[in-house]
Amino acid sequence: MTATVPPTVLGSRFVRRDGPEKVSGEARYTADLSFTGLLHAAFVYAGRPHARIVSIDTTAASRLPGVHAVLTAADAPPVRYGMFVKDRTLFATDVVRFEAEIVAAVAADTAEHAAAAVAAVQVVYQDLPPILDPEAALDPDSAPVHAGWAGYGTQSGVQRGHNDCGHMTSVKGDVAAGFAEADLTLTETYTSDMVHAVPIEPHAVVAQWQGTTVTIWSTSQVPFPARAGVAETLQLPLSDVRIVVPHLGGGFGGKCDFHFEAHVALLARATRRPVRLVFSRREEFLATDKVRHATRIRLTTGLRRDGTITARRARLVLDSGAYCGDALFATEIGLMMVAGPYRIPHLHAEVHTVYTNRTPAGSVRAPGGPQTCWAVEQHTDELAALAGLDPVEFRRRNLVRAGDTGQTGQWFVSASAVECLDRAVELAARGPEPGPHEGLGIAVGWWFSLSVPSGAHLRINPDGTGTIVTGAQENGSGSVMGLPLLAAQELGMAPGAFSVQYQDTGCGPFDIGSAGSQTTFNNGRAVVEAARVIRDRLLDLAAARLEIDRADLELAGGTVRVRGVPERSVPIAEFAASTQLIASGSGTPPPLPEHDVSGCGGRLGYAAFAAPSFFCDVARVRVDPDTGVATVGEVVAVHEFGRVLNPVGAEGQVEGGVVQAMGMALLEGSRYADGHQLNPGLLGYKLVTAADAPRIVSEFLDDPVDQGGPYGAKAVGEPTVVGTTAAIGNAIAVATGRRVRALPMTAERVWTALHDPADGGRS
Amino acid sequence: MTPVPVVLTANGVRSALDLDPHRTLLSVLRTELGITGPKEGCDDSECGACMVLLDGDPVNACSYLAVQADGRAVTTVEGIGTADSPAPVQRALLEAGGVQCGFCTPGMVVSATALLDRVPEPDEDDVRVALAGNLCRCTGYQKIIEAVLDAAGNRNPAG
Amino acid sequence: MNHRSYAAPGTLAEALDLLAERPGTRPVAGGTDLVVAARGGKAPLPGSLLALHRIDELRGLYADDAGLTIGAGTSHATLTTDPAVRDRWSALSDASALVGSPATRATGTLGGNLMNASPAMDTGSPLLVLGARIGLRRAGGHRTLPVERFLTGPGRTAAAPDELLTEVTVPAPAPRSGSAYVRLEHRRAMEIAVVGAAAAVTLDPDGRFVAAAVALTAVAPTCLLVPGIGDLLAGRHPDPVALALAGATARASVRPISDVRAGAGYRAAMVAVLVGRALTAAAGRARNAPHIPAGRTA
Repeated sequence: MTATVPPTVLGSRFVRRDGPEKVSGEARYTADLSFTGLLHAAFVYAGRPHARIVSIDTTAASRLPGVHAVLTAADAPPVRYGMFVKDRTLFATDVVRFEAEIVAAVAADTAEHAAAAVAAVQVVYQDLPPILDPEAALDPDSAPVHAGWAGYGTQSGVQRGHNDCGHMTSVKGDVAAGFAEADLTLTETYTSDMVHAVPIEPHAVVAQWQGTTVTIWSTSQVPFPARAGVAETLQLPLSDVRIVVPHLGGGFGGKCDFHFEAHVALLARATRRPVRLVFSRREEFLATDKVRHATRIRLTTGLRRDGTITARRARLVLDSGAYCGDALFATEIGLMMVAGPYRIPHLHAEVHTVYTNRTPAGSVRAPGGPQTCWAVEQHTDELAALAGLDPVEFRRRNLVRAGDTGQTGQWFVSASAVECLDRAVELAARGPEPGPHEGLGIAVGWWFSLSVPSGAHLRINPDGTGTIVTGAQENGSGSVMGLPLLAAQELGMAPGAFSVQYQDTGCGPFDIGSAGSQTTFNNGRAVVEAARVIRDRLLDLAAARLEIDRADLELAGGTVRVRGVPERSVPIAEFAASTQLIASGSGTPPPLPEHDVSGCGGRLGYAAFAAPSFFCDVARVRVDPDTGVATVGEVVAVHEFGRVLNPVGAEGQVEGGVVQAMGMALLEGSRYADGHQLNPGLLGYKLVTAADAPRIVSEFLDDPVDQGGPYGAKAVGEPTVVGTTAAIGNAIAVATGRRVRALPMTAERVWTALHDPADGGRS
Repeated sequence: MTPVPVVLTANGVRSALDLDPHRTLLSVLRTELGITGPKEGCDDSECGACMVLLDGDPVNACSYLAVQADGRAVTTVEGIGTADSPAPVQRALLEAGGVQCGFCTPGMVVSATALLDRVPEPDEDDVRVALAGNLCRCTGYQKIIEAVLDAAGNRNPAG
Repeated sequence: MNHRSYAAPGTLAEALDLLAERPGTRPVAGGTDLVVAARGGKAPLPGSLLALHRIDELRGLYADDAGLTIGAGTSHATLTTDPAVRDRWSALSDASALVGSPATRATGTLGGNLMNASPAMDTGSPLLVLGARIGLRRAGGHRTLPVERFLTGPGRTAAAPDELLTEVTVPAPAPRSGSAYVRLEHRRAMEIAVVGAAAAVTLDPDGRFVAAAVALTAVAPTCLLVPGIGDLLAGRHPDPVALALAGATARASVRPISDVRAGAGYRAAMVAVLVGRALTAAAGRARNAPHIPAGRTA
């Protein structure tokens, strides 16, 4: 798409429309909602990683004061669900497969009564040996996590094994020939611990039935997929399920897919009362089955003596936990990250998504991205050292450029990887020379824009204001708050003239939700298309009224006016008062770039990256050599996002992404023992605080060639979290001379790498 | 259990309540008084979303017994400014882009207010330390810190 | 919900009478530990609560030539900023500045921190090296005991159920003395010590140790005074050899455990590092160096 109107509001800095209610505490989130007769929901969890259910007795719990319902699998339709593999039921039936598997659900008049009922449900278990080692679980002779796995339905193309809910291969060229050309080879293994999304708002759901229809207020990032999940598991028509998301207190992927809405709806139907579920932070860690996969990545790369990469073999093993969920997004994207934005003529990469008795993994912001980019970029610095080259020079020699092809034969129309690298290095060099025990680390990467259908309605009200009704979901990033810019741009109106109705499946058209950084890219296109329909209608109306050719008219200042004669104008309000100005838009999603997956195997959901974007992060890190404590002083992040429509929003995404990625680098990881999380709380699982956050320098480059989104926009939300972890790892290696090959690179792991280098910080 | 008679003054409004002594201040504010600006984000005073002022001092309302607030003045985000008439720190957060999902924002506003009441001209490190008990997952803190520094400048135009 | 009672007396005498009359009553000051423990499911809130926040007699600091008296209800915020504490009992000020967040420091009290008796408590080691005594009062009686005898185990103290911790007294440091507390932490804020070390030293005019004490946090069931440090360091300059000796002695005195925060081997190694840093900072202050915040290792 090219701009047909001179840019006026695009790229402007504006105060988001939902801001005033948020800063004043007026904004209502799901847990803030209350209803007359409201009941409180609570879940009975397995509390053990793997066991057979011998019996469940809810009699005593049901008789306790204030208890309205105690439900188990016997009370739910016998439906197996799952986005890629139908491996799951709402309640455990015969086996529990992770510690927070839901065995029963309770509704009571107070939270205390609900807790008492939970404690009174009697379940007899026969414990089974927990399956916790993904590599061992891949052994064909190992015990299956799902005895009936072979009978599960799947999305088309999913290739599985007994404990492998999705494996794929990405093959390019002839990898054996590529290694034969190599003068040098390096093999290393990189591991990462399970990481959580940790939105500050815990999950909450309120459900209320009126007749045969249910309204569910939920902390979902994806209201339409959540609606589909409720309809599927409760066997209802989609038209009888309405999902409303009040303000959403962050998601980061942890609130993707669907889960708890159906349980609460079932309780509400059983009691014919409104029912509310609010998670504690502990439940948020244990029961929210959307964690970032613990991953083991083995890379072997061949180099010519001049530092040119000739070939790579890669093997990724992702710990999917007890269920597949939407995990194959992470698998597929991780697979597409193993070559990085480098020219690798010969590649063989395989990825496995392995069932274990841990909390299920799924899509957390940039699924598969940060840990794979970290592994690849640690490896890249190690390869540079092997070739005797400076890491920046090594990258310059190997980065993709326009005209190259990627690992799936994707042809790069343009590629700004080198520009991002050069600019980031230039910005980082403005700082002082690194001091003792301080280093600058660099990482580059690439990301995609997700090209999917979306929709929006637009109407102009009789007073000349506008209302956008969209299916899109605002996760906090400001992408929905930025939609008025697009309508305003098309219609020559002020962005503030538009209100937005959003995150309500009862009024907005289908949208996949806040996932894949796709809101501006796809819903923005839908808004633009709807606005263009109204624009056409206004031009027709004004041409008739002013008796002038359409081509001589323009929309500006809330009017339709004659070009060059602004006093000959008609306010848009005047037309809106006498005519219905209503339009819908969807638009055609941009196609994937040309690519070639011959030789590849499995379901490749991301066979090519539409409108690929590139980035480079440089981190300045000081390491205390006696303690291993790393301090991040500055992160420079240069991103090529195509055209940035909302600079405040884009900066906010980069700054938030950098700090979330810093957490993954240094602090965040679940510790496990015997199938139990040891640190399911914010004291044990540490996020970066304001006192520790680095200074962040962000800059955006444009891509005038490869444009997929409205006005040349590309995805922004997820690539921002991918590179910093890797840059910090490389900075630690520069500062200490030692490589830590495990995430998070905690002080203890850094110290161990310094004092016991053979360990690689892995213990 | 004998309910304990308590008089709470929240955002200037006096309320007489009979309370179970084990109730937290957060629960009473949200449930009895309908003040939902303070949020519940964790179980252990780690996230700061529940932050309120008690006689001017910042307190994690989730970990404070409501009965201990008897006779004292509680200020929540709603008492600091409104959507129509935001306080300088709230306005600065809007203008700097320091608000994304907004769930941590009420606590941030309260902690920032506690700082500025005590240290009218903070430096950047003062702000970082003052906000260290308020976790934000969206913003990376940078624009929040800028906003608090901006608000301090606006409160003290000479400084 | 049964048998829940609450009292918030305005005077110490009333509080002591209530403690005597209602066995099992639990005093609560800021509640920062008590309520969090209850919400985390570690320990339910006691049925009978005695709130201390209204008792003015428990608040305040008094410093003179003999030493420092701290009311048990004094907040960490006050201990952080009080000029006398910062200059003369610096280790305690260092530790208070590191407790939790601004809210925890405003609400949490020294008495509460001591009564909670966590092995990772930040004020314990400073009070040990400063030679503090704990004042316990019951209706009709008062006794004091050294802090090392007061802290008896994780979550356990020598206070009887009817005794209230009312004040902490710390002797005045000799001339040319200094103290410091340093903590190993993964973040600059909101931390619990992985390992902490406090040191208090007195130097002679040539800069040699006359007296020295070191205590450790989070490596034993209680904060722990390392035996023999004074004799080991007497007459030595605070040079790398002396610091390494002290570090090795401290390391040999504890057997830290592995837990979710750190492995035993790393903790043991960090003991030596932190003891060296605490002694260095304390000696620097003893030489009348200006007050430098010492609490952070990074």
